[in-house]
Amino acid sequence: MAAVDFSTRKQVTRPPTPWYRHPLARSILYHGLVATAALIMLYPILWLVGSSFKPPDEIWTNQTAILPIEPYPQNYPNGWAGFGGISFATFYRNSLFYATLGTILSVSASAVVAYGFARVRFRGRRLWFAIMLLTLMLPTQVQIIPQYIVFKQLGWLNTFYPLLLPRIGGSAFFIFMIIQFIRSIPVDLDEAAMIDGASKVGIFLRVILPQLTPAIITAAIFSFYWTWDEFLVPLIYLNSPELYLVSLALRTFSDPSGQTDWGAIFAMSALSLLPVFVIFITFQRYLVEGISTTGLKG
Amino acid sequence: MAAATLTKAKRRKRSSFGQDNLVGYLFIGPWLAAFFLFTLIPILVSLALSFTDYNVLSNSGDFIGLDNFQRMFFEDRRYARSVNATLKYVVFAVPLRLVFALGVAMLLNTWRRGVGVYRAAFYAPSIVGGSIAVAVMWREIFGNDGLVNFTLNLLGIEGPNWLGRPETAIWTLIILAAWQFGSPMLIFLAGLKNIPKHLYESAEIDGANAFQRFLRITLPMLTPIIFFNLIMQLISGFMVFTQAFIVTQGKPLDTTLFYALYVYRRAFELNEMGYASAMAWVMLMVIALLTALVFRSSSYWVHYESDEGPA
Amino acid sequence: MKHRKLVFILALIALLLPTLLVAAQDQTEVRISWWGSQNRHDRTIAAIHLYEELNPDIDIVYEFQGWGDHWTKLSTQAAGGELPDIMQHDYARIEEWVANGLLMPLDGYIESGIIDTTHIADSSLAGGMVDGQMYGINLGNNSEVFTLDTDAFAAAGIELPALDWTWTQFEAIANQIQAALGIHGIGVLTSDQLWKSQYMGCCDQWAYAADGMSLGYEDDQPLIDYYNMLLSLQESGGMQSYEDSVARGDQGVEAQLIVSQEAAMAYHWSNQIVAVWNAAGADRSFVMYPIPRPEGGQSQNYIKPSMFFSVTSQAENPDEAAAFIDWFVNSVEANEILEAERGVPVSSVVRESLLPNLGPAQAEMFNYLGLIEMDNSPIRPADPAAHADVVSNIFVPEFVEPVMYGMITPEEAATYLREEANRILAAQ
Repeated sequence: MAAVDFSTRKQVTRPPTPWYRHPLARSILYHGLVATAALIMLYPILWLVGSSFKPPDEIWTNQTAILPIEPYPQNYPNGWAGFGGISFATFYRNSLFYATLGTILSVSASAVVAYGFARVRFRGRRLWFAIMLLTLMLPTQVQIIPQYIVFKQLGWLNTFYPLLLPRIGGSAFFIFMIIQFIRSIPVDLDEAAMIDGASKVGIFLRVILPQLTPAIITAAIFSFYWTWDEFLVPLIYLNSPELYLVSLALRTFSDPSGQTDWGAIFAMSALSLLPVFVIFITFQRYLVEGISTTGLKG
Repeated sequence: MAAATLTKAKRRKRSSFGQDNLVGYLFIGPWLAAFFLFTLIPILVSLALSFTDYNVLSNSGDFIGLDNFQRMFFEDRRYARSVNATLKYVVFAVPLRLVFALGVAMLLNTWRRGVGVYRAAFYAPSIVGGSIAVAVMWREIFGNDGLVNFTLNLLGIEGPNWLGRPETAIWTLIILAAWQFGSPMLIFLAGLKNIPKHLYESAEIDGANAFQRFLRITLPMLTPIIFFNLIMQLISGFMVFTQAFIVTQGKPLDTTLFYALYVYRRAFELNEMGYASAMAWVMLMVIALLTALVFRSSSYWVHYESDEGPA
Repeated sequence: MKHRKLVFILALIALLLPTLLVAAQDQTEVRISWWGSQNRHDRTIAAIHLYEELNPDIDIVYEFQGWGDHWTKLSTQAAGGELPDIMQHDYARIEEWVANGLLMPLDGYIESGIIDTTHIADSSLAGGMVDGQMYGINLGNNSEVFTLDTDAFAAAGIELPALDWTWTQFEAIANQIQAALGIHGIGVLTSDQLWKSQYMGCCDQWAYAADGMSLGYEDDQPLIDYYNMLLSLQESGGMQSYEDSVARGDQGVEAQLIVSQEAAMAYHWSNQIVAVWNAAGADRSFVMYPIPRPEGGQSQNYIKPSMFFSVTSQAENPDEAAAFIDWFVNSVEANEILEAERGVPVSSVVRESLLPNLGPAQAEMFNYLGLIEMDNSPIRPADPAAHADVVSNIFVPEFVEPVMYGMITPEEAATYLREEANRILAAQ
């Protein structure tokens, strides 16, 4: 309503502009629309966080409500206690270690490999690229057992090696993604650098890499989350509870045929979103700011 | 179009990119190493197993030729249902996800105050992932007296029991997928950031309005990213697993029995790894074929700033 | 700036590096793996710590996970020859594992007294026998139960039935509850477990033949009648609709309708009463009833091992593993920690020692099993190796679901079930 008033007042001094063209009206429209949509998007997460404060007898009896009738923060210490003296502190430490190192490995390797595919011509390039894409299309489920036997032969069971070492080759998803970003960078810059005597490595480091900031930040955000959330492979390789990850621990809380502390599950599930969310918030800033300095100016 | 002339100029200079096998293999070396060390053997073994009746528990299997394939195409009723569910999911969830992702990315690609917060809000659903709490949450929302039916009730509509009806259950998973459009959205956002500003400036001088700018600059400049998102969403659409695994378990009446879930069931609940491998390889071939088609088509609609590239 | 960031990240990694576990002592390592929830993990780990204290030369290395993950992980380990010494096992799967030579017979240990069974009734042990040999030591007795919410019965003005109630009485009660209180009589009754024991009541038969190579019942009519009853209960609201149960999904014991007072009765395993009561609140009151029986028929209940400890054939230290199992089952100290979480302990000595300290839910469970032991049907053989295949590929998707959704009649479905199940069973 306010927007309409505003535009009619303006009519006195200016040729008539429709109210919806006015910057303030547009701003209100924009924020109104986007904020409503954002709230709908967030509802389930609010519900999850709200439920994590419900006492055990409320979780199933007062299911629809977001807010608990009687807040029960005890779910958090109950869940945090973990299993038989191994608390979530251990699981968080393991998950942070794995997700951080895993992300650094996968993203940096992916950038290097992507540059090779995107900007160097070599024999067999198309073939290897096609094979790389094919590896994405076979479900892990049917590779697990042969892979388990390979890692057993290497003596790496119950360590992080089977989870981390395959990442030295990057991930096909990120490689392909970064290739697409590199391909939308004009080659003029490469060539200018080449004329200045830069090697391929030099071009990669000084010309391409700085322009890849948005792509690399995006890859890092995904990689952290996907690593954090991964459970099938860690389940197979990590035996000692001291090595369990948060994702595994969350699945270890419940037994469909036994007694389950749902409050603790909700609490730890809600808490486990925090690191991923923090990573996103921190990095998405670069997604905006990083550009203004690296954007191409003709 | 400015971009087109740029491309031509480059084509001329292409010769300056000599072939360099050593450097090329050095750069892709890490991937090759990981591939040969960790990926190749499991892949080949699974291919070999698909022609056997290998059972995980007995850790043995006999060569049975094409029997697994014969069984899945002609004898296994549930296989047909899993194909059905997966196709339905791919046909609806993939475009929905892409459209939402691009639309919201466009909406959030501005300098307005609070955009960071919105971005976080729209991305948030994509990080709730695969925990059991998510399953409970989703059932709650689509439950008989859940949020969806409550809202419909306000509009005077009596909603069905979404997850319980064979006609509607899969839609809840499609909506779940559409709701989690965060990753393609972020990739689109990153892509939008990479579009040189001067292109917009010159278009504005030419008097192009917002819609024309979108059609003439944003869309063509974004095609490599659209192409990427399309391919990846297609692949992950066919391989969809987690949603059904944690929320519906394939019920009711196998209407949400996604292909990858069925593969997992055969492989780990019934230990029929030979049969599961055969199913997985059929899927690989189907996805590969579709991907190849999309790649073929890309020369008609994907615009690159450089012609260099593996495909 | 950039360097500082790099240093920070490296420092973070170093900080987070999980400390390497080095255990190079003169201890014998016994690896054990089980499934469960937080409560079971806590108790089992506490018991293990006690055992290690009592036996300083033994190092018990444990792994635990949820139910589904347990099988994914252990079948992978089986293929890789990496099975632990002891694994928790399940009645529905043990035969398949034995058939593939993955478990070790324990008869030798029982004879030599390493596993002491003097205080364990034969009926409690029989569930772990496959082809006349012992492959799993029962960790707790269990039986199917119908739990009745006595407050709801009082509110509806319905008298509690006799313990030997019949399906006809049950059906009438379920409908009366629906009429009087507007809630369901009970949740869905389509579990494969009820199908397996269905023929015990009327015909002294079991779902599977003794050799496990075919179905064990000749006449489809009782099954058809039973499903017609379910369809009519579903229609009247006396039973929760199948559709509703699918929509709610398998969210564990705590989500049973009786907990949220949406039903006045519940069907579950006897050891689950603790979880039900816990979730419902201490102010509620429940009694446990056997499965209703057919008119003039006999009990459909039997004592089922809730779960086993088995020694795998890939065990490195089977002797020490057997000794641990013996302690786990027979030690009063251990079971004071475990508190019958896996079901009613099989050792009569342990049982008696626990009696004085039981909570109301556990006391009800102990009483109930005592009752069942007096009037139960003969022990049934473990499920055939193809049981999982029959249930997950035929019974649920081709029988229960199409019938309950009204897509085919129970008659058609029963015929199909018979044909397909027999085909799978014969092909094992």
